[in-house]
Amino acid sequence: MLQKMWHKKWMNLCLLLGITLLVGTLVSFPLYAQAAYDRMLQDEFDDCLSEQGIWPSMNTLVTFSKKDKKGETIKNMEAFLAGLNDAMGVKGLQTISYYSLTASEIVSEMNRPDLSGENLRLGTMSGLEDHVTIRYGEDFSQEGMTKDGAYEVLVDEACLIEKDLLLGETLSLSNVLDKNGKPIRVFIKGVFDTSQNDDYYWQIDKLDLLGTCFMREDLFRSVFMGERVGKYNITCNYYQLFSYEDISCEQVPELYENTKYMTEKGGYRSVFKKPVYMNVLEKYMGKQTRIAGTLRILQIPVLIMLAAFLFMISNQMYEMEKNEISVIKSRGSYRRQIFLLYLYQNLLLVVTGGIIGIFLGRGFASVLGATRNFLSFSSENSLPVTFNRQGFLYALSGMGFALLCLTVPAIPHSGITIVNLKQKKSANKKPLWQKLFLDVILLAVSLYGYYSFHKDMSAVSNTVLSGKSLDPLLYISSSLFILGAGLLYLRLQPLFVQLIYMISKKRLGPAGYISFMENRKNAGKQQMIMLFLIMTISLGMYHAIVARTILDNALENREYLDGTDIIILEKWTPVKDESGIATGSYIEPDYQKYMTAEFVQDCTRVYYDDTAYYKEGKNDRQITTVMGIHTKEFGSITSLSEGLNEKSYYTYLNELAVVPDGVIVSSNFKTKYGYEIGDSIFYCSSSGKEANGRIVDFVDYWPGFATTRSELDADMTAHVSEGYLIVTHYDVLRKYWEGLPYEIWMKAGDQYDPAMVNQFIEENHMQIRKYMNKQQDIRGVLQDPLLQGTNGVLTLGFVVTILLCVVGYLIYFVMSVKERELVFGVLRASGFHKSELILMLFSEQLFCGVFSCVAGALIGNLTSQLFIPVLQYAYASEDQSLPMRMIVNSADMIRLYGVIAGAMLICLFVLIGILQRMNITKALKLGEE
Amino acid sequence: MDRFESVNREKKNLITVKNVSRVFPVPGGEFRALNDISVEIPQGTFVILKGRSGSGKTTLMNLIGTLDDPTEGEIFYDGRKIGELSERERENLRRREFGFVFQSVSLIPSLSVQQNVEFSMRLAGEKNEKTLSSRAQECLKLVGLLGRKEHMPSELSGGEQQRVAIAKALAPRPRLLLADEPTAELDSAMAAAVTELFQKMSEQEGVTVLMTTHDAGLMGAAQMLIELENGEQING
Repeated sequence: MLQKMWHKKWMNLCLLLGITLLVGTLVSFPLYAQAAYDRMLQDEFDDCLSEQGIWPSMNTLVTFSKKDKKGETIKNMEAFLAGLNDAMGVKGLQTISYYSLTASEIVSEMNRPDLSGENLRLGTMSGLEDHVTIRYGEDFSQEGMTKDGAYEVLVDEACLIEKDLLLGETLSLSNVLDKNGKPIRVFIKGVFDTSQNDDYYWQIDKLDLLGTCFMREDLFRSVFMGERVGKYNITCNYYQLFSYEDISCEQVPELYENTKYMTEKGGYRSVFKKPVYMNVLEKYMGKQTRIAGTLRILQIPVLIMLAAFLFMISNQMYEMEKNEISVIKSRGSYRRQIFLLYLYQNLLLVVTGGIIGIFLGRGFASVLGATRNFLSFSSENSLPVTFNRQGFLYALSGMGFALLCLTVPAIPHSGITIVNLKQKKSANKKPLWQKLFLDVILLAVSLYGYYSFHKDMSAVSNTVLSGKSLDPLLYISSSLFILGAGLLYLRLQPLFVQLIYMISKKRLGPAGYISFMENRKNAGKQQMIMLFLIMTISLGMYHAIVARTILDNALENREYLDGTDIIILEKWTPVKDESGIATGSYIEPDYQKYMTAEFVQDCTRVYYDDTAYYKEGKNDRQITTVMGIHTKEFGSITSLSEGLNEKSYYTYLNELAVVPDGVIVSSNFKTKYGYEIGDSIFYCSSSGKEANGRIVDFVDYWPGFATTRSELDADMTAHVSEGYLIVTHYDVLRKYWEGLPYEIWMKAGDQYDPAMVNQFIEENHMQIRKYMNKQQDIRGVLQDPLLQGTNGVLTLGFVVTILLCVVGYLIYFVMSVKERELVFGVLRASGFHKSELILMLFSEQLFCGVFSCVAGALIGNLTSQLFIPVLQYAYASEDQSLPMRMIVNSADMIRLYGVIAGAMLICLFVLIGILQRMNITKALKLGEE
Repeated sequence: MDRFESVNREKKNLITVKNVSRVFPVPGGEFRALNDISVEIPQGTFVILKGRSGSGKTTLMNLIGTLDDPTEGEIFYDGRKIGELSERERENLRRREFGFVFQSVSLIPSLSVQQNVEFSMRLAGEKNEKTLSSRAQECLKLVGLLGRKEHMPSELSGGEQQRVAIAKALAPRPRLLLADEPTAELDSAMAAAVTELFQKMSEQEGVTVLMTTHDAGLMGAAQMLIELENGEQING
C-alpha cells in the first residue's frame, strides 16, 4: 500500500494538503472564537466598570437580622457566603460585609442645639482600617473604646461636613440603648478619606457612607451581634467581589445559569440583589451569538471548496488507477477488498493531515487574531490563542468529513471491471447537473433570497440591532448565486468556444485548430477545474469587497460621528445664589489652556446638545441635536466628504457665516415640518432655555451629527428614528443659553499622542464629563470582534482558496499533459513544432483558465453589486449614519489577479519543462504496451 | 535480383543509409539495435523491411523518419544529409513529405475519423476546407472506412484505427510513407488489400513506401526487401 502511495506521491501530497487545510480551517474557528470572545467579555466588563464605576463582577446580598437571639441569621449568611464563590465557579477577590444598626437621632455632648434632627447610623465594615486614609484625628485604639465607655468611630469626610459633626466630639445615639437601657455613646476619633483607594473596596451606597459612623468590627460583633445580645436590628450588606479577569468565555453559560438559579430559585434568592454582571453577560451572549453565527456562515464557502478539492483530487486519482483497479477486479478480487485498501490508505492520509492540521489551525487562529484589514495584519491588536477542547472536536469532525470526501468516490470505482471501463469510455453523457438544470435552480433560489431581503432591508437592520442572528439565507444566497452563475457559464462556455471557432476558423493554424478540438472534446473533464477557478476568483473578489466595504464604512462612520480628533467637555461648577440654590448657570473653565496645549493644532468652542428639542405645537417635542459653532474655526478643524450634501461643506459654513441669526438645519425639517429657507425656527436646550434663528440652508450630513437614533424597547425590538439637527453661531447660543457648558473641539497636531491628553488633564486638575478621542475610537472599531473576525475569516478563506486553486490547477494540467503524452508524440512525429505544441497548450489554458478567470471576475463583481447592499446591513452598527458605499480596493484586486496569473505562469513553465524533456520515440514507445 | 538493379539504375535514390549504427545505453553496458546498415532506396520504390520483433526494424524506420539520430553513419534524404538538418527543417520534412503509420496509435483521440485525416493535410499546409474534405473522404474510401468518418477513434476497433491511420498518412500525398507494422491488427484479406494499396501508390503516384512486417505472405508485393536480424542486415 505504501509503495502504491509513494508511486502517486504528488497526488497524495495534494490530498494531504487538502486535508491539512480542511482541518486547519475548521480548527482555527473555535480557537480564534474563544480568544475573541474572551477579549470581548473582558471588554464588556471593563466598559461596565468605567461607565458605572462599580465593580461589575460582584454579588450583593442584603438581609436583616431582627432581634435574632441566637444570631443564626448572620451565622447562616456568613456560612453561605463562604461557599458562594465556589458554587458559582468563580475566583473570589474580597468579601466586604457592612453591618449597621438602625439610624438613630444624635445628641452631642458638647451641647450643640444645631445638631437636632440629624440622624446617624452606627455600623462596621470588615477591613475598614486597611482601606482608608485618616485625614484628621486618629485611627481606632486597641480597645476601640474611650475610657468613659464611648465607642470610637471613624466617619467619612463628606459625612462630617454633611452632618456638621466635629472631630473629637462625643455623641449619644438616643434610639440605641445598651443592656442597661442607656443610649450608646460614640466618640469621633478620626475622619477618613476614600478617594485614595482603588481596589474597589468601596461598594457600599454613597448614602450609607454619608450616614454611618464606623466602629471596630470585633467590638461591634461582640457588642451587637453576639448570641446573648440579640436585641438589635441589624442590616447586613455583603459585597462579594470576584475576579472577572479569570472568567473565560466557556464559563459564561455556567455562571449565568448558576446566578440565575441562586437569585431566582435558590434558598437564599430573597437576599440577592440582581447582580450587575448579569447584564454584562446577557449583552455579551447576545453579541457572541451574532458573531458565532456570522463567522460560521462565512466559513461555509471555504469548507465547501475544500471538500470539492478533496473530492476532485481523489476522483482524479481513482481515474488514474482505473485500469489498475479493473485489472485487479477482473482477476477476481472482491470489491470489498479493493474498497478496504483505499479506506486504509485514506485513513493514513487523514490522520497525518489531521495532526498537522491541528497545528496549522492554531497558526490560522493567530493570523485571524492579528488581522487588521483584508489581507493585512498587525501584531498590535493580536489575540492570544490557545488550544481548547472544542478545537479538538472540530478537528475530529473535520477528519471524519475528509475521510468521507476521499472514500465515497472509491465506492463506484471499486466496482469497475474492464468491460465497464470500455463501455464507459465510449459513453459521453451530459453531466447530471445540466440535466437537472441545477444552475438555473441555484440562481433562482439566490435571487429569491436577494429580492426578499432587498424588499425589506429595514427588517434586516432591525434584526441586527435587536442582537438576533441573521437568516443564514442572507449570507448563503450570495454563495449560491456564485455557484449558479458559475455553472451557467459552464453550460454556455461550449457555445462560446464554438462561436470563436466559427469566427476564427479561416485563420486558424493546426495548433489553434487542435486546441479548439481538444477543448470541445474535454469540456466535461475540464468543468470541475473551470468551476473551481470561477469559484475562487469570484469568491475571492466578493470577499475582498465585502471585507473592505464593511470595515471602511465602519471606520468612515466612526470618523464622521466623532467629528474631529479630540473633544473634551469639562465639568462646570454650577453657580448658586445666596440661599445655595443652583441658578442654572455655570462657572466657565479656562479656555486659554487648550490654545496653548502642545498636542492641539487648532481648537474651537462648540455648544453641543444632542437632547435639545424643537417644539412643534404645544406638547409635541422633537429631540434635536443643536450645535453652536464659530464657522471659521469649526471649518478648520472638521471636514466632510464631498457628495454627502448637495453643496460643498464649506459653502454651508460660508452661508451661515454671513447671516448673524442664521441656522442650518437638517433637511427633515423641510420634508417633515415644511420649513423653507428664510423661515424662523424656535428651539430649546435640554434644560429648557429657548433660542431661535433664521434658516439659511438644509443639509443631510454634518460632522458629528447622528442621522439615526436607535433605541431598544422593553421587548428588545429596535426602533430607529431620524435624527434632527440645528446648527447656529456660537455667539447666538452664548446669548440665548448664557452660561451653559460648551465643548472644546480640537484638531490634533503632528506631535499628538493620546497619553499627552491624559497628562494635560492631570496637570490642569480637570474634571471631565465627556472625552472623545478619535484615535481610540478607531482602534475600538478595528478591534471589534465581529469586524476583525469577518476580515480574518475572509482573508483566511481567500488564502486557502487561492492555494487550492493553484494546486488544483497545476495538478489538473500536469495530469492532462501526462495523459496525452502519446498524442503529443504522434503530433511531434507528424512534424508538429515544439512551439506549436506550446501554443496549443497555451490556447487550451486560455480557454479553460483565462476565460474562467474572466468569468469569475465578472461573476464576483456582479455578486458584489447585488449582495453587498443587503449584506452590509448585517454589519451596520446601531449608530450607522453615513450611507453605506461599496469599496473596491484596487490593490486587493491586483493581488488577486497577480496570484492567479502567477499560478498560470507556473503551470505554463511546468508544461514547457515537461515538453522539453519529452522524447518522441519514447513517447511513441509508451503506446506500444 | 535483376529487377532491383534495373530500378536502381533508372531512378535516383531518395534515401541513402550509409554504415548506420544505433546504440542505446542500457544498465551495465550498451545495446546495439542496429549495426552497420547500408541501404539505398530509389524514389517510388515499395520497400518491405522484414525481420522478427526486436530485430531493429522500428529503430531504422525512426532513423529514416528523422525521429531519431544514428550513433554512427549517415542517412541522406533526397541528397541531403539528415544529420545536418535543423530541428525545424526536420519537422517540416515530416510535415510535408513524410507520412507515418505507427505500430501503436497514430490518431488524435479528440478528432473524429475524418478530422484526423484532414489534420495531416492541415499540417502539410492545406487550408481549403473543400479540398480537405474531399481528399479525406477519398482516402477513407481507399481504406473502406468512409461510412465511419464521423466516428471517434475510441469507437473503432484496433484494425479500423490502423486503416484510418493509413488514410491519414496518405492524404497529404507524401513522398515517403513510413508504415510500422500497418497490417499487424488486420485480417489477411485486409492486410493484402492494404499492401496492394501501397503497391499502387508507389507505382502510380511515385510514393516511396517503407513498410515493416513479419507477415511472410505479403513479401511478394515488395519491389525491394530488406531483412534485419539482431540489428544486422542480412540482405539488400
